[in-house]
Formats: sequence, C-alpha cells, structure tokens
Amino acid sequence: MSRKEEKQVDLSLRQFIKDLGGITGGAALLGTMPWLQSFTPDKLKEVAKEKSRIAIIGTGSRGQYHIHNMFSIQHAEIVALCDTYAPNLEAAAALVPTAKKYSDYRKVLELPEVDGVVIATPLNWHAPILLDALSAGKHVFCEKSMAYSMEECKQIYDTYQTSDRVVYFCMQRMFDEKYIKGIQMIQSGLIGDVVGARCYWYRNHDWRRPVPSPELERSINWRLYRESSGGLMTELATHQLEVCNWATKRIPKSVMGMGDIVFWKDGREVYDSVSLVYHYSNGVKINYESVISNKFNGMEDQILGHDGTMNLATGMYYLENENIGKSGIEQLLSQIGDKVFTAVPLAGASWRPETKKEYTPFPILADNFNVSDGISMIGAVNDGSDQMLSAFCQACITGEKGENIVEEAYSSTLLCLLGNQAMDEQRKIDFPEEYKIPYMKF
Amino acid sequence: MDLTESHFFDRTKMKDIVITAQRIKKELYILLGCFAAACTLNAISIILYKTPWYELFTQIGYVVIITVCIYLLVALIRVVVALLVKLVTSGKKR
Repeated sequence: MSRKEEKQVDLSLRQFIKDLGGITGGAALLGTMPWLQSFTPDKLKEVAKEKSRIAIIGTGSRGQYHIHNMFSIQHAEIVALCDTYAPNLEAAAALVPTAKKYSDYRKVLELPEVDGVVIATPLNWHAPILLDALSAGKHVFCEKSMAYSMEECKQIYDTYQTSDRVVYFCMQRMFDEKYIKGIQMIQSGLIGDVVGARCYWYRNHDWRRPVPSPELERSINWRLYRESSGGLMTELATHQLEVCNWATKRIPKSVMGMGDIVFWKDGREVYDSVSLVYHYSNGVKINYESVISNKFNGMEDQILGHDGTMNLATGMYYLENENIGKSGIEQLLSQIGDKVFTAVPLAGASWRPETKKEYTPFPILADNFNVSDGISMIGAVNDGSDQMLSAFCQACITGEKGENIVEEAYSSTLLCLLGNQAMDEQRKIDFPEEYKIPYMKF
Repeated sequence: MDLTESHFFDRTKMKDIVITAQRIKKELYILLGCFAAACTLNAISIILYKTPWYELFTQIGYVVIITVCIYLLVALIRVVVALLVKLVTSGKKR
C-alpha cells in the first residue's frame, strides 16, 4: 500500500473546529483562536487536488518525525531533504527515496520547485535558515523555540511583518483538541477567575544521544551546550508558557528563578533542574519547574481558577465546588448526605494536615483523546504537531497566514530566554521594553 | 398431596382484610401531602441554590422518589404511634 493512501491525519480536528463554529459561543471562540479558522474540512476539500512541495531541513529524529507525519497529509509531498550529518540524511532518504538530498540548506532554498521548508535543526540555526528562507520566498514551518536569542526573535518577528510568506512555529498545543476545548472552558468562566498556573515537566533521562565519534559530541548533543541550546527552557518550557499566556490572555511582566546542574554532571552546560516564577501584572503567577533526574510528577499544565483547576496536559478538570452543574434538589440532597454521613470528631487533635483532597476528574473532551506522558524526546503521537504541519502545508497552497502563531511563539520564546537570563544572573528580570510587540498585553 | 386441601389453603380459616374506601382516601390524602412537601422542597432548593425554575418539572423524578421516601417515613411514624397507643390502651384496660 502506498503511504499516501493512509487516512488523512487531521480530519477529526478539522471536524471538531467545524462543529465548534456551529455551537453557541463557538464562533466567538474561533474569534479568539484565529489560527484555527481556516482549518476546516471545507478548506481541505479546496486544496485536495493540489500539493505543497516541502523540503525538510534537519533530518534528525524530529525531522524524521515530521516526515512520518507528512505521509498522512495528502496535500503535501516531500521534494528535498537537507542535513549536514550524513547518517541522518541517509535515514531520511530511505523514508523518501524520491526526494533530492542536500547538505547545504542554501542549495535547497534555490530550488524553484520548493514551496515551503520545515526547519528541524538545532536552535541556533533557526534564525539564519528562517530568514534566508523568507528572503528566498519560501514558506516556513520551524520547530520551537523561535530562535536562540532575543535579538534573533525580534529580527524574525519584524521580517515576518513585512513578508507575504507563511510562517508557522511548532507550538503544537495550539492544534491539540483538548487544549483548544480546555482554553475555551477557562475563558468561558468554568474555573472562575484564573488565580495561578502551575506547570512542570519531570523526566528521568540524561537527554544524551549516542555519539559515534567525540568531535560530533557538540553537534549531536547540541541540546546540552549553551552555544546551541537554551536547555530545558527553550526545549520544554516554551510550550507550557505559551499555554499559560493563551489561557490568561496576558504576558508576565517579570521573572525570577534558579537553575542548577544537580545530577547530570557530565560536562553539559545547560541546567538539569530549573524552578522559576513568572509574575503577571495582576498578581497571578506561573510556577514553573523542570527536573530531568526524577519523573515522579511527569508533565502537567495546570491552570488554577477560583472555582476549579484545568489540567490541560491530562485533559481533565476539577471543580472546587463539585455541585456546580447539579440541579438544586441534587445539591440539597448532596448537602444533607454530607451532613448525615460526615464523621464528627468527638476528641483528638484540633489540627489536621491539609493533605490533597480527592477531586472528581471531569474529562475536557467527551470522546477518547491522546495524553502524552512527556517522556519522548522526539514527539508524542497526535499531540497537535501533525495537525499543525497539515495546516502549514494547506497554507503553502492558499497563502493564508496562520494568525497569532508567530506572536505566540515570539512571546513564549522571549519568556524562556528571560527565564534563562534570570537564572544566570540570579535576579528578577522585567520584560524589556524594546522587545514588547503590539500583540502583548501585560 | 393436594395443597388446596391443606390447612394453609383452607379459605374458611383465613381472615379477610378489608380496606375501606375511607382508608384508601386517607392514604391518598397523605400521599398527596407528601408530594406537596417534596415539591416544596424542590422549590426551596431552587431558591436556595439559585438554579432555574424549570427544574420544578425537569427534576420530577427526584420529587417522586422523595414523595415515596416521605410517605414511608410517615407510615413508620404512624405504625410506631399506633403501637404506642395500643400499648397505653391495653395497659389501662388491665
């Protein structure tokens, strides 16, 4: 069976978005998530007979992950592959034997048959390749984070403003059904006023890849070195900070934090343990933690409200008052039941530790949905990456820009880089005026 | 052995229980009272928890269940009271 005969990857999300448009408040929701507006089954029909011709620049594990996802996108074909590391290039070529192979990305950008490029290189290469691609008139889908430095991010943002090309950054939670519906629930007031956010990502893995020869250490394990990586912040936190800003519709005005190499003292330069506090102007704070030498807590994105908690990563929410949504008589009976059956302490200590109460979990989506354990270094299945790639390939044909995607990526990347600065300098950092953009509300 | 010929099925030795029309009427009035009490409870809970008034109709299932519960509770109280009255009156006769 040809790979292209496999089922289109994104039909369920497209239908979900179409259905949202038909329900009360759905149109308003799509107004707040404009990047989804053209991601419908009807648009898919419009582009069904066309194909966007895509080049993959960076064919390592993440690049190959995108190649696999692209096999399920019927309106796309891979025409070129590029990597400086021959084994990765050959591995990708084995997947797409018809694609041309290159080791210099500039040669790829010269190809007239390439409509768009997917950049899945180390972070320090994002900005140079992306800017060159836009100059060459190519559409760009770039891995997160946006770029290595704040200056590069601003340069990309400014260039994008004057460009007619489409640019997507792989902030895949923006295309994940449970996140979309969960944010809708938050913004419709289900959990009340947002009073905080608690995000963490725990793994127990050294983050290393095997290196065939010592001189390749820094290029293969680029995530571990400061010359090419922002560490846990740009690799993991960027997704979670983006979700917090999406939920609160604000950007934190300052950040402070501590970062250390606690366990993996193997010559790496980036922290293996970070704890940060991002502070919004209304007092709401994001408490962010990431440790890669213990995985007990896993990965979660919790938005805390006065009336409940939305755990977007697990697709569940919890209500402070579990009677919300119940009828009056049910609430009355429940209250009577509580009073009758609750044990009344007759003697003993007057103080009890406030250990975590068992809350009833409510699913964000009625149907089955995917939950990532956050352990994979390459990417989870159906985490929104494939849908976002499909949206990009569609945009390569229609030329429609993905509204707010660049702005969201810019905001979260800057917050990550500011977080790194705060940890390095061990001081509170305010969001710099020169990097504020009109999209940001503080 | 033919069971219908046994002592247990000897209709001449069985006692007829007569439920009078007046008794049925009384029980129906009590049941109606219980239903009214359950409806009032529903209305109070609607006011108390500020839920929509259409719950007067949509929550009728709960109202019926509560009606039966109140009726059974009242029946239990009536049985206890009847037993107490019987005890007191039999004590006086002695």
